[in-house]
Amino acid sequence: MPTPPPIYLNASASISPYALEETSPPLPYPRLRCIEPDYKDFIDPRMIRRMSRVVKIGTAAAVACLREAGVDMPGAILTGTTYGCLEDTEQFLHKMVAQNEEMLTPTAFIQSTHNTIGAQIALLLQCHAYNNTYAHRAFSFEHALLDAVLLLREKEAPNALVGGLDEITDVLYCVLSRFDLYKPAADHATADASEGTIAGEGAAFFLLSPEKTPATTAQLLDVATFYKPENMPERVAVFLQKNNLAASDIDLLLWGKNGDSRYDGLYDAVAEHALPSIPAAGFKQLCGEYPTAAAFATWLAVQILSGKTIPKGLLPNTGVLPKKILIYNHFYNIHHSLILLGGP
Amino acid sequence: MESLMQDLKAKIIVQLNLQDVSPEQIGDDQPLFMEGLGLDSIDALELIVMLQQHYGIRIANPEDGPKIFQSVRTIAEYITAHQKTA
Repeated sequence: MPTPPPIYLNASASISPYALEETSPPLPYPRLRCIEPDYKDFIDPRMIRRMSRVVKIGTAAAVACLREAGVDMPGAILTGTTYGCLEDTEQFLHKMVAQNEEMLTPTAFIQSTHNTIGAQIALLLQCHAYNNTYAHRAFSFEHALLDAVLLLREKEAPNALVGGLDEITDVLYCVLSRFDLYKPAADHATADASEGTIAGEGAAFFLLSPEKTPATTAQLLDVATFYKPENMPERVAVFLQKNNLAASDIDLLLWGKNGDSRYDGLYDAVAEHALPSIPAAGFKQLCGEYPTAAAFATWLAVQILSGKTIPKGLLPNTGVLPKKILIYNHFYNIHHSLILLGGP
Repeated sequence: MESLMQDLKAKIIVQLNLQDVSPEQIGDDQPLFMEGLGLDSIDALELIVMLQQHYGIRIANPEDGPKIFQSVRTIAEYITAHQKTA
């Protein structure tokens, strides 16, 4: 089967709990929060005053990505977010209750929708191009990515800015803790045989283009999503076959193991049956668990493929730098996704 | 009037989250919109709610908005006039 031409990743930027600097403090398990930059370096101060935390994180990551690409005006803006702007939503709902639904101010309400981040990026850039936000639970980032690929292959845009982002607020953390999603103690993400994981958040943006440039850092070869799949190893095998690849062509499996003993076996099954003997590495010890964590994984894969700084000890000691990375992630065995990336 | 204007400046900063702006930096007669403090239509809505919430003033005619919100002094004058008549 002929494979479609690749899409190139010409820039990437991430704001996450993980910092590349060696002097960074250790990650605060079990709830990881983003290391935030000085937003004034990225966003017009007049706009910052109305932005909630996730809007600032997303907008700053988008601007950093465009700066790296040297692109002022993207041909499309696509964002994927599961939770959207929770802080604004909470603020608005709180005021509704506290003020008996009277004298409500507009800002939090206006900013509470999922597409606020994409809109703020467009406002900042004065960009009137195609702008879409995907709020498809844990497929949000992958679907934004798919939309970008379709746009670029149909030549509807010369390039596309694509990002995945989510925040964890105090209220959300408290609510999700009641559902036993998180480890009760300050366990490490990769701790064995315990239930629950660590909470995370982050934003990662990419500039995609059908054209390879000197700045190209990686190739996006394929993306696929699977809703409650019964036999994921078989799906992975079919996915590889579709891309004319054997399991041995994959140099690294970047998997979303999150230390939750209830679900990590699913990753082992894929590794054992679909990708035997392929080196594997996790990423959620760096970003925590959140529905758009695949965006961070994609950013990390780009770092690896382009030979940039990566966390010490992350990669298995094979002596060779990976040239093809398969990201396999699932969110509570409901939303499974595969993202295949190649070197520049 | 002076203390009301000081109070208004502090409340405007909080309500509109005007980072890096102190009450002393807002002139009594400085235009609030456009070239002055640079406020916009969303801020106007916030200011309307602020007047209602903190001073019990409801602006009956929206067309009066531009005159009322011209500066801190014009807002203070409007509050003074309407609190007296209330």
